[in-house]
Amino acid sequence: MGNCLQINSTDDISLLRGSESSNTHDFTSDRNVPAPIYSELLQPVFFPSPSTRRPASNLTEEEQVKIAKRIGLIQHLPIGTYDGSKKIRECVICMIDFCVDEAVRYLPCMHIYHVHCIDDWLMRSLTCPSCMEPVDAALLTTYETS
Amino acid sequence: MANMAVSRIKREFKEVMRSEEIVQCSIKIELINDSWTELRGEIAGPPDTPYEGGKFVLEIKVPETYPFNPPKVRFITKIWHPNISSVTGAICLDILKDNWAAAMTLRTVLLSLQALLAAAEPDDPQDAVVAYQYKDKYQLFLMTAKHWTNIYAGGPHKFTECDSKIQRLKDMGIDEHDARAVLSKENWDLEKATENLFS
Repeated sequence: MGNCLQINSTDDISLLRGSESSNTHDFTSDRNVPAPIYSELLQPVFFPSPSTRRPASNLTEEEQVKIAKRIGLIQHLPIGTYDGSKKIRECVICMIDFCVDEAVRYLPCMHIYHVHCIDDWLMRSLTCPSCMEPVDAALLTTYETS
Repeated sequence: MANMAVSRIKREFKEVMRSEEIVQCSIKIELINDSWTELRGEIAGPPDTPYEGGKFVLEIKVPETYPFNPPKVRFITKIWHPNISSVTGAICLDILKDNWAAAMTLRTVLLSLQALLAAAEPDDPQDAVVAYQYKDKYQLFLMTAKHWTNIYAGGPHKFTECDSKIQRLKDMGIDEHDARAVLSKENWDLEKATENLFS
Protein backbone atom coordinates (compact mmCIF):
# COMPACT_ATOMS: atom_id res chain seq x y z
CA MET A 1 0.00 0.00 0.00
CA GLY A 2 1.28 3.37 -0.96
CA ASN A 3 1.42 6.25 1.45
CA CYS A 4 -1.63 7.74 -0.21
CA LEU A 5 -3.77 5.03 1.32
CA GLN A 6 -4.92 6.27 4.68
CA ILE A 7 -8.44 5.00 4.29
CA ASN A 8 -8.94 1.99 6.51
CA SER A 9 -11.25 -0.76 5.43
CA THR A 10 -13.52 -0.44 8.46
CA ASP A 11 -14.66 2.86 6.99
CA ASP A 12 -16.99 1.16 4.57
CA ILE A 13 -18.87 -0.56 7.32
CA SER A 14 -19.19 2.49 9.53
CA LEU A 15 -20.50 4.42 6.56
CA LEU A 16 -23.36 2.04 6.07
CA ARG A 17 -24.37 2.50 9.65
CA GLY A 18 -24.62 6.18 8.87
CA SER A 19 -23.13 7.62 12.05
CA GLU A 20 -23.26 11.41 11.78
CA SER A 21 -20.83 13.57 13.65
CA SER A 22 -17.71 11.45 13.34
CA ASN A 23 -18.21 11.09 9.63
CA THR A 24 -18.64 14.80 9.16
CA HIS A 25 -15.15 15.06 10.51
CA ASP A 26 -13.70 12.68 7.95
CA PHE A 27 -14.42 15.15 5.20
CA THR A 28 -12.41 17.93 6.66
CA SER A 29 -9.76 17.68 9.31
CA ASP A 30 -8.93 13.98 9.20
CA ARG A 31 -7.97 13.83 5.60
CA ASN A 32 -4.46 12.90 4.50
CA VAL A 33 -4.23 16.01 2.31
CA PRO A 34 -3.59 19.00 4.57
CA ALA A 35 -5.99 21.85 3.97
CA PRO A 36 -4.43 25.11 5.15
CA ILE A 37 -7.66 27.08 4.84
CA TYR A 38 -9.44 24.82 7.27
CA SER A 39 -6.72 24.82 9.88
CA GLU A 40 -6.56 28.60 9.76
CA LEU A 41 -10.17 28.91 10.76
CA LEU A 42 -9.90 25.97 13.16
CA GLN A 43 -13.29 24.78 12.06
CA PRO A 44 -14.57 22.94 9.03
CA VAL A 45 -15.64 24.96 6.01
CA PHE A 46 -18.54 23.89 3.82
CA PHE A 47 -19.79 24.81 0.38
CA PRO A 48 -23.60 24.90 0.25
CA SER A 49 -23.18 25.77 -3.45
CA PRO A 50 -19.93 25.72 -5.47
CA SER A 51 -19.34 29.45 -5.08
CA THR A 52 -20.46 29.86 -1.45
CA ARG A 53 -17.94 28.93 1.25
CA ARG A 54 -18.99 29.08 4.88
CA PRO A 55 -17.46 28.00 8.18
CA ALA A 56 -19.59 25.38 9.91
CA SER A 57 -20.85 27.83 12.55
CA ASN A 58 -22.28 30.19 9.92
CA LEU A 59 -24.44 27.69 8.12
CA THR A 60 -28.18 28.23 8.10
CA GLU A 61 -30.34 25.39 9.28
CA GLU A 62 -31.40 24.69 5.71
CA GLU A 63 -27.78 24.52 4.57
CA GLN A 64 -26.90 22.19 7.44
CA VAL A 65 -29.62 19.81 6.34
CA LYS A 66 -28.48 20.04 2.72
CA ILE A 67 -24.89 19.28 3.68
CA ALA A 68 -25.84 16.47 6.04
CA LYS A 69 -27.85 14.86 3.23
CA ARG A 70 -24.93 15.31 0.87
CA ILE A 71 -22.52 13.68 3.31
CA GLY A 72 -24.95 10.82 3.78
CA LEU A 73 -25.24 10.30 0.05
CA ILE A 74 -21.50 10.43 -0.60
CA GLN A 75 -20.92 7.78 2.03
CA HIS A 76 -23.23 5.40 0.26
CA LEU A 77 -21.18 5.56 -2.92
CA PRO A 78 -19.01 2.44 -3.06
CA ILE A 79 -15.26 2.53 -2.51
CA GLY A 80 -13.07 -0.02 -4.24
CA THR A 81 -9.43 -0.49 -5.05
CA TYR A 82 -7.92 0.29 -8.41
CA ASP A 83 -7.06 -2.97 -10.13
CA GLY A 84 -4.95 -1.47 -12.92
CA SER A 85 -7.02 -2.99 -15.70
CA LYS A 86 -9.56 -0.22 -16.12
CA LYS A 87 -9.87 1.95 -19.17
CA ILE A 88 -9.63 4.92 -16.87
CA ARG A 89 -5.98 5.43 -15.98
CA GLU A 90 -5.92 8.77 -14.20
CA CYS A 91 -8.05 10.65 -11.72
CA VAL A 92 -9.23 13.61 -13.83
CA ILE A 93 -9.52 15.80 -10.75
CA CYS A 94 -5.85 15.75 -9.68
CA MET A 95 -4.67 14.39 -13.08
CA ILE A 96 -2.45 11.84 -11.38
CA ASP A 97 -2.40 8.22 -12.57
CA PHE A 98 -4.03 5.69 -10.25
CA CYS A 99 -1.73 3.20 -8.55
CA VAL A 100 -2.76 -0.43 -8.28
CA ASP A 101 -4.59 -1.07 -4.98
CA GLU A 102 -5.29 2.62 -4.47
CA ALA A 103 -8.70 3.46 -2.98
CA VAL A 104 -11.11 4.81 -5.57
CA ARG A 105 -14.74 5.84 -5.35
CA TYR A 106 -17.25 4.67 -7.94
CA LEU A 107 -20.02 7.00 -9.12
CA PRO A 108 -23.28 5.60 -10.54
CA CYS A 109 -22.03 6.51 -14.06
CA MET A 110 -19.02 4.23 -13.37
CA HIS A 111 -16.47 7.02 -13.48
CA ILE A 112 -13.84 6.54 -10.78
CA TYR A 113 -11.77 9.03 -8.78
CA HIS A 114 -9.44 9.14 -5.80
CA VAL A 115 -11.67 9.10 -2.73
CA HIS A 116 -10.36 12.38 -1.29
CA CYS A 117 -10.52 14.11 -4.71
CA ILE A 118 -14.12 13.20 -5.51
CA ASP A 119 -15.37 13.72 -1.94
CA ASP A 120 -14.02 17.26 -2.00
CA TRP A 121 -15.82 17.84 -5.30
CA LEU A 122 -19.12 16.20 -4.30
CA MET A 123 -19.25 18.33 -1.18
CA ARG A 124 -19.64 21.29 -3.57
CA SER A 125 -21.63 19.75 -6.38
CA LEU A 126 -23.38 16.39 -6.60
CA THR A 127 -22.43 15.78 -10.24
CA CYS A 128 -19.84 13.63 -11.94
CA PRO A 129 -17.02 15.98 -13.02
CA SER A 130 -16.49 13.94 -16.20
CA CYS A 131 -20.00 13.45 -17.58
CA MET A 132 -21.97 15.96 -15.45
CA GLU A 133 -24.45 13.23 -14.59
CA PRO A 134 -26.21 14.08 -11.29
CA VAL A 135 -25.01 11.57 -8.72
CA ASP A 136 -28.53 11.09 -7.49
CA ALA A 137 -31.10 12.82 -9.63
CA ALA A 138 -33.97 11.92 -7.32
CA LEU A 139 -32.23 13.36 -4.29
CA LEU A 140 -31.31 16.51 -6.20
CA THR A 141 -34.95 17.21 -7.01
CA THR A 142 -35.86 17.09 -3.36
CA TYR A 143 -33.09 19.62 -2.66
CA GLU A 144 -34.45 21.95 -5.30
CA THR A 145 -38.05 21.75 -4.23
CA SER A 146 -37.39 22.09 -0.51
CA MET B 1 -5.06 21.87 -1.61
CA ALA B 2 -2.72 24.47 -2.96
CA ASN B 3 -0.40 21.66 -3.97
CA MET B 4 -3.09 20.06 -6.03
CA ALA B 5 -3.75 23.36 -7.82
CA VAL B 6 -0.10 23.76 -8.74
CA SER B 7 0.49 20.15 -9.79
CA ARG B 8 -2.64 20.21 -11.91
CA ILE B 9 -1.72 23.45 -13.65
CA LYS B 10 1.73 22.05 -14.40
CA ARG B 11 0.18 18.96 -15.99
CA GLU B 12 -2.38 21.01 -17.88
CA PHE B 13 0.31 23.31 -19.16
CA LYS B 14 2.08 20.33 -20.71
CA GLU B 15 -1.23 19.10 -22.11
CA VAL B 16 -1.93 22.44 -23.80
CA MET B 17 1.61 22.60 -25.17
CA ARG B 18 1.14 19.21 -26.84
CA SER B 19 -2.35 19.96 -28.14
CA GLU B 20 -3.31 20.25 -31.77
CA GLU B 21 -4.66 23.74 -31.21
CA ILE B 22 -1.17 24.98 -30.32
CA VAL B 23 0.18 23.56 -33.57
CA GLN B 24 -2.59 25.34 -35.46
CA CYS B 25 -1.87 28.56 -33.48
CA SER B 26 -5.51 28.69 -32.46
CA ILE B 27 -4.80 28.85 -28.71
CA LYS B 28 -1.74 29.78 -26.71
CA ILE B 29 -0.82 29.86 -23.05
CA GLU B 30 2.10 31.28 -21.09
CA LEU B 31 3.20 31.63 -17.50
CA ILE B 32 3.21 34.99 -15.75
CA ASN B 33 4.83 34.07 -12.44
CA ASP B 34 6.78 31.22 -10.86
CA SER B 35 4.02 30.25 -8.48
CA TRP B 36 1.82 28.96 -11.34
CA THR B 37 -1.13 30.99 -10.12
CA GLU B 38 -1.29 33.46 -12.98
CA LEU B 39 -1.24 32.69 -16.66
CA ARG B 40 -1.80 34.48 -19.90
CA GLY B 41 -3.93 32.84 -22.55
CA GLU B 42 -4.48 33.77 -26.16
CA ILE B 43 -7.21 32.68 -28.55
CA ALA B 44 -7.56 33.30 -32.26
CA GLY B 45 -10.86 34.80 -33.41
CA PRO B 46 -12.85 31.97 -35.01
CA PRO B 47 -13.36 31.96 -38.80
CA ASP B 48 -16.61 33.42 -40.22
CA THR B 49 -17.07 35.69 -37.21
CA PRO B 50 -16.35 39.42 -36.86
CA TYR B 51 -13.40 38.35 -34.67
CA GLU B 52 -11.65 36.43 -37.47
CA GLY B 53 -8.01 37.40 -37.90
CA GLY B 54 -7.77 38.83 -34.37
CA LYS B 55 -5.70 37.53 -31.43
CA PHE B 56 -7.36 37.94 -28.05
CA VAL B 57 -5.30 37.92 -24.87
CA LEU B 58 -6.79 36.61 -21.62
CA GLU B 59 -5.85 37.00 -17.98
CA ILE B 60 -6.13 33.67 -16.15
CA LYS B 61 -5.92 33.52 -12.34
CA VAL B 62 -5.88 30.11 -10.72
CA PRO B 63 -7.53 30.00 -7.27
CA GLU B 64 -5.94 28.07 -4.43
CA THR B 65 -8.95 25.74 -4.50
CA TYR B 66 -8.47 24.82 -8.18
CA PRO B 67 -9.74 22.50 -9.70
CA PHE B 68 -12.67 22.54 -7.28
CA ASN B 69 -13.38 26.13 -8.27
CA PRO B 70 -13.03 27.58 -11.78
CA PRO B 71 -10.11 29.77 -12.87
CA LYS B 72 -10.86 33.50 -12.98
CA VAL B 73 -10.64 34.60 -16.59
CA ARG B 74 -11.09 37.96 -18.29
CA PHE B 75 -10.25 39.48 -21.65
CA ILE B 76 -7.26 41.83 -21.62
CA THR B 77 -7.75 42.62 -25.29
CA LYS B 78 -10.73 44.93 -25.73
CA ILE B 79 -13.59 43.19 -27.51
CA TRP B 80 -17.14 44.04 -28.65
CA HIS B 81 -19.25 41.02 -27.74
CA PRO B 82 -22.62 40.65 -25.92
CA ASN B 83 -21.22 38.27 -23.29
CA ILE B 84 -18.01 40.18 -22.56
CA SER B 85 -17.80 43.58 -20.88
CA SER B 86 -16.50 46.16 -23.35
CA VAL B 87 -15.13 48.09 -20.35
CA THR B 88 -13.56 45.47 -18.02
CA GLY B 89 -13.29 42.35 -20.17
CA ALA B 90 -15.36 40.36 -17.63
CA ILE B 91 -16.89 37.25 -19.16
CA CYS B 92 -20.37 35.80 -18.71
CA LEU B 93 -19.95 32.09 -19.34
CA ASP B 94 -21.67 29.38 -17.32
CA ILE B 95 -18.66 27.06 -17.06
CA LEU B 96 -16.64 29.84 -15.43
CA LYS B 97 -19.34 30.07 -12.75
CA ASP B 98 -21.83 27.49 -11.50
CA ASN B 99 -21.42 25.01 -14.35
CA TRP B 100 -17.72 24.50 -13.73
CA ALA B 101 -16.64 20.86 -13.36
CA ALA B 102 -13.38 19.65 -11.87
CA ALA B 103 -12.59 17.68 -15.03
CA MET B 104 -12.44 20.85 -17.14
CA THR B 105 -9.02 22.21 -17.98
CA LEU B 106 -7.35 25.39 -19.18
CA ARG B 107 -7.50 23.95 -22.67
CA THR B 108 -11.25 23.32 -22.53
CA VAL B 109 -11.79 26.80 -21.04
CA LEU B 110 -9.91 28.45 -23.91
CA LEU B 111 -11.81 26.37 -26.46
CA SER B 112 -15.12 27.25 -24.78
CA LEU B 113 -14.23 30.94 -24.99
CA GLN B 114 -13.46 30.51 -28.67
CA ALA B 115 -16.86 28.86 -29.06
CA LEU B 116 -18.45 31.79 -27.21
CA LEU B 117 -16.93 34.19 -29.77
CA ALA B 118 -18.54 32.11 -32.52
CA ALA B 119 -21.92 31.84 -30.80
CA ALA B 120 -22.93 34.81 -28.66
CA GLU B 121 -25.83 34.51 -26.26
CA PRO B 122 -27.42 37.98 -26.31
CA ASP B 123 -30.22 36.87 -23.98
CA ASP B 124 -27.72 36.27 -21.19
CA PRO B 125 -25.59 39.38 -21.65
CA GLN B 126 -22.60 40.71 -19.74
CA ASP B 127 -22.68 43.98 -21.68
CA ALA B 128 -26.30 45.11 -22.11
CA VAL B 129 -25.44 47.82 -24.65
CA VAL B 130 -23.62 45.38 -26.93
CA ALA B 131 -26.38 42.80 -26.53
CA TYR B 132 -29.02 45.38 -27.48
CA GLN B 133 -27.07 46.35 -30.59
CA TYR B 134 -26.61 42.68 -31.47
CA LYS B 135 -30.36 42.05 -31.33
CA ASP B 136 -31.60 45.34 -32.70
CA LYS B 137 -28.98 46.51 -35.21
CA TYR B 138 -27.04 43.40 -36.19
CA GLN B 139 -25.24 44.97 -39.19
CA LEU B 140 -23.97 47.79 -36.97
CA PHE B 141 -22.91 45.22 -34.38
CA LEU B 142 -20.89 43.35 -37.02
CA MET B 143 -19.17 46.54 -38.13
CA THR B 144 -18.38 47.59 -34.55
CA ALA B 145 -17.06 44.15 -33.60
CA LYS B 146 -14.87 44.02 -36.73
CA HIS B 147 -13.64 47.55 -36.08
CA TRP B 148 -12.68 46.69 -32.47
CA THR B 149 -11.02 43.49 -33.69
CA ASN B 150 -9.02 45.54 -36.19
CA ILE B 151 -7.92 48.15 -33.65
CA TYR B 152 -7.30 46.02 -30.56
CA ALA B 153 -6.67 42.48 -31.82
CA GLY B 154 -4.98 43.03 -35.16
CA GLY B 155 -7.93 42.02 -37.34
CA PRO B 156 -7.97 42.83 -41.07
CA HIS B 157 -11.08 45.01 -41.52
CA LYS B 158 -10.59 48.77 -41.54
CA PHE B 159 -13.54 51.13 -41.43
CA THR B 160 -12.59 54.63 -42.54
CA GLU B 161 -16.04 55.87 -41.55
CA CYS B 162 -15.41 54.82 -37.94
CA ASP B 163 -11.91 56.25 -37.96
CA SER B 164 -13.04 59.63 -39.21
CA LYS B 165 -15.81 59.90 -36.58
CA ILE B 166 -13.34 58.99 -33.85
CA GLN B 167 -10.97 61.62 -35.25
CA ARG B 168 -13.72 64.26 -35.01
CA LEU B 169 -14.13 63.53 -31.29
CA LYS B 170 -10.36 63.41 -30.78
CA ASP B 171 -10.21 66.88 -32.29
CA MET B 172 -12.53 67.97 -29.49
CA GLY B 173 -10.05 66.68 -26.94
CA ILE B 174 -11.62 63.29 -26.29
CA ASP B 175 -9.39 60.28 -25.66
CA GLU B 176 -9.38 57.90 -28.62
CA HIS B 177 -10.57 54.85 -26.65
CA ASP B 178 -13.33 56.82 -24.93
CA ALA B 179 -14.42 58.20 -28.30
CA ARG B 180 -14.59 54.70 -29.78
CA ALA B 181 -16.52 53.36 -26.79
CA VAL B 182 -19.11 56.16 -26.86
CA LEU B 183 -19.56 56.03 -30.64
CA SER B 184 -19.96 52.24 -30.48
CA LYS B 185 -22.60 52.60 -27.79
CA GLU B 186 -24.47 55.30 -29.70
CA ASN B 187 -24.54 53.18 -32.89
CA TRP B 188 -21.95 55.50 -34.51
CA ASP B 189 -24.27 58.50 -34.33
CA LEU B 190 -21.73 61.33 -33.99
CA GLU B 191 -24.31 63.83 -32.77
CA LYS B 192 -25.59 61.56 -30.01
CA ALA B 193 -22.05 60.61 -28.99
CA THR B 194 -21.09 64.28 -28.69
CA GLU B 195 -24.20 64.98 -26.68
CA ASN B 196 -23.40 62.04 -24.39
CA LEU B 197 -19.83 63.24 -23.87
CA PHE B 198 -20.56 66.89 -23.21
CA SER B 199 -23.83 66.80 -21.31
